[in-house]
Amino acid sequence: MTGSQIFSQFLSGVSRGMILFFISSGLTLIFGVMNILNFAHASFWLVGAYFTWTFWKIFYSPAFGLWISIPLAALTMAGIGWIIEVILIRRVYERSLPEQLLLTYALVLVIGDVIKLTWGVEDRIVTRPKGMDGFINIFGAPFPTYYIFVIGLGGFVAWGLWWLLHKTKFGRTVRASVFSREMVGALGIPVHRIYAGVFALSLFIAGLAGGVQAPISSITLGMDMSIIVECFAVVVIGGFGSLPGALVGSLIVGLVYAFAILIIPKMALVLIFVVTAIVLIVRPWGLFGTPMRA
Amino acid sequence: MERITRCKIGGLGIIILLAICFLFPLPVKAAEPYHLGVVLGLTGTGAMYSRDGKNAIEMAIEEINKEGGFLKKHPIKLFIRDDQTKPDIGVREAKDLILREKVKCILGTYSSAVGLAVEDVCYEYKVLHIPAISNTEAMTVDNYSPYTYQVVPNTYMQAMGQVIGISKYAKQKGWKSFASIGSDYEWGHSTVNYFVDNMKKALPEFKLAKQYWPKLGETEFSSYITAVIGDKPDFVYAALASKDNIAWMKQAKPYGFFDKFPYACLISVTEMVEMKDELPRGVIGETRAPFFAHLDIPMMANFIKNYRAKYNEYPSDWAVMEYDAVYALKQGVEKAKSIDIEKVKNGLKGLTVNTTRGKLYFRKIDNMLNCQSYIGIIADDPKYPFPIYKDLVIITGEESWRPESEVPGVREKSGLAKKRKPEELKF
Amino acid sequence: MLKLVVFRSYGWLILAVAASIVLPMVVGVFWVHVLTEILIMGLFATSFNLLFGYMGQLSFGQAAYYGIGAYTTALMITKASIPLPICMITSILLAGICALIFGYFCVRLIGIYFAILTMAFGQLVFYIIFQWYGFTGGDNGIQGIPVPLLLQDPYVYYYFTLAVVIAALIVMWFIINSPFGYTMRAIRDNSNRTRFIGINIRQYMLINFVISGMFAGLAGSLWAPFNRSIAPDLANWGHSGIPVFMAVIGGPLGFFGPLVGSVVYTFLSAFVTGFTEYWPIIIGIIIILIVLFLPGGILGTLQQKTQPAEINNSKKETG
Repeated sequence: MTGSQIFSQFLSGVSRGMILFFISSGLTLIFGVMNILNFAHASFWLVGAYFTWTFWKIFYSPAFGLWISIPLAALTMAGIGWIIEVILIRRVYERSLPEQLLLTYALVLVIGDVIKLTWGVEDRIVTRPKGMDGFINIFGAPFPTYYIFVIGLGGFVAWGLWWLLHKTKFGRTVRASVFSREMVGALGIPVHRIYAGVFALSLFIAGLAGGVQAPISSITLGMDMSIIVECFAVVVIGGFGSLPGALVGSLIVGLVYAFAILIIPKMALVLIFVVTAIVLIVRPWGLFGTPMRA
Repeated sequence: MERITRCKIGGLGIIILLAICFLFPLPVKAAEPYHLGVVLGLTGTGAMYSRDGKNAIEMAIEEINKEGGFLKKHPIKLFIRDDQTKPDIGVREAKDLILREKVKCILGTYSSAVGLAVEDVCYEYKVLHIPAISNTEAMTVDNYSPYTYQVVPNTYMQAMGQVIGISKYAKQKGWKSFASIGSDYEWGHSTVNYFVDNMKKALPEFKLAKQYWPKLGETEFSSYITAVIGDKPDFVYAALASKDNIAWMKQAKPYGFFDKFPYACLISVTEMVEMKDELPRGVIGETRAPFFAHLDIPMMANFIKNYRAKYNEYPSDWAVMEYDAVYALKQGVEKAKSIDIEKVKNGLKGLTVNTTRGKLYFRKIDNMLNCQSYIGIIADDPKYPFPIYKDLVIITGEESWRPESEVPGVREKSGLAKKRKPEELKF
Repeated sequence: MLKLVVFRSYGWLILAVAASIVLPMVVGVFWVHVLTEILIMGLFATSFNLLFGYMGQLSFGQAAYYGIGAYTTALMITKASIPLPICMITSILLAGICALIFGYFCVRLIGIYFAILTMAFGQLVFYIIFQWYGFTGGDNGIQGIPVPLLLQDPYVYYYFTLAVVIAALIVMWFIINSPFGYTMRAIRDNSNRTRFIGINIRQYMLINFVISGMFAGLAGSLWAPFNRSIAPDLANWGHSGIPVFMAVIGGPLGFFGPLVGSVVYTFLSAFVTGFTEYWPIIIGIIIILIVLFLPGGILGTLQQKTQPAEINNSKKETG
């Protein structure tokens, strides 16, 4: 294996990890703030991808179509997120864990068929914008320019989330309500609106992720079911409720996968599960989580 | 008070349950209409192919019913079920169709795994079965059933077709090594294995260098792309599931992959239409029933015309094959002069049928139609808004199917004799 | 008063057993298949409920043991023609051993971590079955599983399944109503206090986990010859969700809840798939409605409506 080959695999692992980070960040945020594991998060991601396609079809323009569609899809998902939080999620905060899990799992089934009813069963294709459909050579290894955008955007989202949570009033309130919901409520701050905001924000990022994903592969039914399992692995490894954990976990999963397929080709996914199981056994709260936050 | 209420509720519940169960086993009608079942993966990875198949079947049934149905007196009643691309759901739906709707024949299944499961159900209940999209060779050779007739070139034939086509190029261009990338499931594995084994026999100096097996449903291929680029093979052979193949080609193109490496894979009309802008020109594609290969056959020309009028799109390979399946059944019924299952089964044996792909016959030893495989180079064509094959090479069934002499050996290995009656395995 | 209470509880049971014996004689053969499926899935769901309703933990990986049971039986019959009873016993044992190994790690966690670890182990089993074509047939699964001549008739198989399931339910009933079972409930309701009185929680949870896995394996071994065909999907996490649905629909706090849930779920799915392909959205909406408005499931809600208020309050669900 030459140096540039290794570097090439490394870069592909990083971009794979970034896509996982987009989805896992929202997943871990919802868990961290509201203590709900949203099985349906990848399904929302997929809906975001489909919306991106719809907008892209409407604003058809090879150069700019995507740049308009992605934010629009993300905003649409944020709106949908707000509505779903108010109608459904809000009702199960006080309920037991199994009921919460069941609700979000049932949502997966519902969303799957809603996608089928709205967009049909055909695969949807979005092409990469002109100027981002080629590759550049980094240390002798070819690397698609679009992935540079993905990695860059991922970094920006990570930074943006950190800034939001640490430098804004909204963020401070969110972190306070994680610490003590009652106190925040007692201070007269409408906690339910905070939660709705967090849920909408998570879905905004999921929608963004869906939009970013759209030109990478075709948009098809069932993508959500396969990626949610990897996202769970990320959240376990990184730690439930921790954003830095989601970033590190995503990179670990992406890189492990990228190199595993070279060394033990058929067992790459099994390896991820083994790692997840080991983390849960040895250190259930992951790398960055707080102990036993069940 | 409570006890009475509970007893009332319970009694009512049981009465309702019994009533529903009584309603459902409807009195058996006189043998007038022909009940035809369709089991397809309408949800799942093959949803698009299944949808096309369903459309073609419905159109064929309409045409035949306009003349009064089979033998002009048995109108066909269609029952369509979704197997969700899962074998046990396929079994349940097939059983439902056979026991409840009393179908005489089941068409379809997209996934080979479901196809095998449904084949066994049809064998057990003695109902005809024409898969038409599932094409694992196991259905006709390893797991042969006298009730199953196959109208799509099977995995062996398709791989052989590629061996014949590609060994020509390999000899011409002096290729020495190749890499394979196959989706990690049965179809992917058997396709790659048949190709590798037969290529070894055809061109021993053309060596397999590396194999990759991305998981079924993989959406992120960059790690595989960079790995293959690093291997620097002379040629890349791919057997990726339809959706995965699209993602793969989309992602590999920006790496300049297809300029660097000659590449061959299954590219059906569906991919040609769906990826019309993105499909890399110059790759070597193979498919099972492209409409443009038989424009000179009247049945095909009519089919294209009517299909476009009804559905506003060109028929994909899957539509062509399910259409052929219905008409093969029709010709079997006509040969038998009856809709009785056993008579039709015997009528179809070794029968020559008119299909959109020409006049073809079912080989007796495995009920396999001697249908062709099609290889060509993806290129634009002024007649169509999407690219098709140029330099089309058509490989006949006889050139590509497993030689009859090898069939008993394979069946012995699979233990078929345990599952079938001895007289059914005599030819 | 006692006689009334006894009749109230057992009257239903007698009615249900009578119905299960009589129904096949009056309905079409297709529904006999559905009834057999209801029984097998009901057994699976009841085994799951040992962990869920009685121990208070949600396992999203029970399909692993169900799948192991199904594959063990299928492989033993197809490859070595071993008689069915031996296959079934082996399935139970193998599923139990697997549950012992995985359970050893799972019972060290609770809540969401428990759920995800069971899911991870379940996926592990699924992928191993899926990848190992040489042995398990991979994604093709195993087709044409031969059934002993005696059991080939669907009616006979139904009564055979009924006998096995009733026997299994009786065993589970005794387990649940034994001191062991009451300890389980104590662990569910307040694990700290239970620990304080000297009970080794992990050991009890592990034993329960193994028992649950064994019965799941039994259900799987009944399924393989019934369906004549199995596929790796039986061990997938989606399949693990089905006993969860059944327990929730029927009511996890009652012994017969999962069975009632199986009747509703299986019957609905057979019925609905007859005229639409959109089954997932229908079951999804039903589950959402039940979670939001009928938290005790069907049996739980019926119980609330027909029992006096004092008994109601003491049965507050904790999950």
